[in-house]
Amino acid sequence: MLTQMHIRGLMFDPYTNAYIVILRDESNTEMLPIWVGKPEASAISFAMEGITTPRPMTHDLMKVILDTAEAKVISVVVTDLKDNTYYAKIHLSYEDSEYSIDARPSDAIALAMRSKAPVFVNDNVIRKNSSEDMDRWLENLKPEDFGKYDA
Amino acid sequence: MESTLVKLTVQGVMPDAIPNSESQVVILQDESKTNTLPIWVGVAEGTAIRLALEGVVPPRPLSHDLIRNLTEQLGLKISKVVVTDVKNNTYYASIYLRSKESDTQSELTVDARPSDAIALALRTSSPIYVTQEVLDRLAPENVDPWLKMLGSKEFGGTV
Repeated sequence: MLTQMHIRGLMFDPYTNAYIVILRDESNTEMLPIWVGKPEASAISFAMEGITTPRPMTHDLMKVILDTAEAKVISVVVTDLKDNTYYAKIHLSYEDSEYSIDARPSDAIALAMRSKAPVFVNDNVIRKNSSEDMDRWLENLKPEDFGKYDA
Repeated sequence: MESTLVKLTVQGVMPDAIPNSESQVVILQDESKTNTLPIWVGVAEGTAIRLALEGVVPPRPLSHDLIRNLTEQLGLKISKVVVTDVKNNTYYASIYLRSKESDTQSELTVDARPSDAIALALRTSSPIYVTQEVLDRLAPENVDPWLKMLGSKEFGGTV
């Protein structure tokens, strides 16, 4: 089963020095945090804020190549979580055929946002995440961190 | 008029001479080593280029690996990348793509930053060119300080 997710925010995680993309489902009952690197975080934040740069950034180039070839991003799916690493697939249609390409979720999301393609998460990942990843995150949290990101 | 293209190879990626700079410099040279083209790139793109030069295969595909995988799976071949222009210290590049069946007549061209174009060329073993015009317009005052820095120690040290 797949659940459609929306990109709700981007946070900085001081413990891992990485950024976290927050995905939520329509009803706000499921939440998935995904750790991403700095360049991918800025690629996602530009798309969130609708910022266009004077020159095409890497994910803009990715989209332009697909547009030029008349390939279309149908959807991206976060498919798996293994050893704290998330896996994603980009689904494309090109010349009457469909293709699935392995990607990091950060690249897949940055591309989906530019292509206005939906982002799905395998329910299996949401379940695994609630145990594996949240434990790791909660372990690191200190009492003073609570409320830190409330704006 | 079709401009003359000069083939370049990537010699290395070096830190910028300015302390705390957010940039890195990719050094390209022609076969005879008479022309050197330094291109300033961001840290992420500099890293992407360095990894390809070192032949590092990361456990998960990085952004430029993904672009290579996307084009390969769709049967698109990157035939070449060309540094086409320089305006106000900004370099422009084009990526030439060909679908498997099509001939050179139907080559697709995509505008790109040279950093992305180079990172992609290195991953697809595609040749990198610069137009003779860009080389002609390279101001010596921009290149000379860099050439001085290219002592044997610097050269290769960070490659």
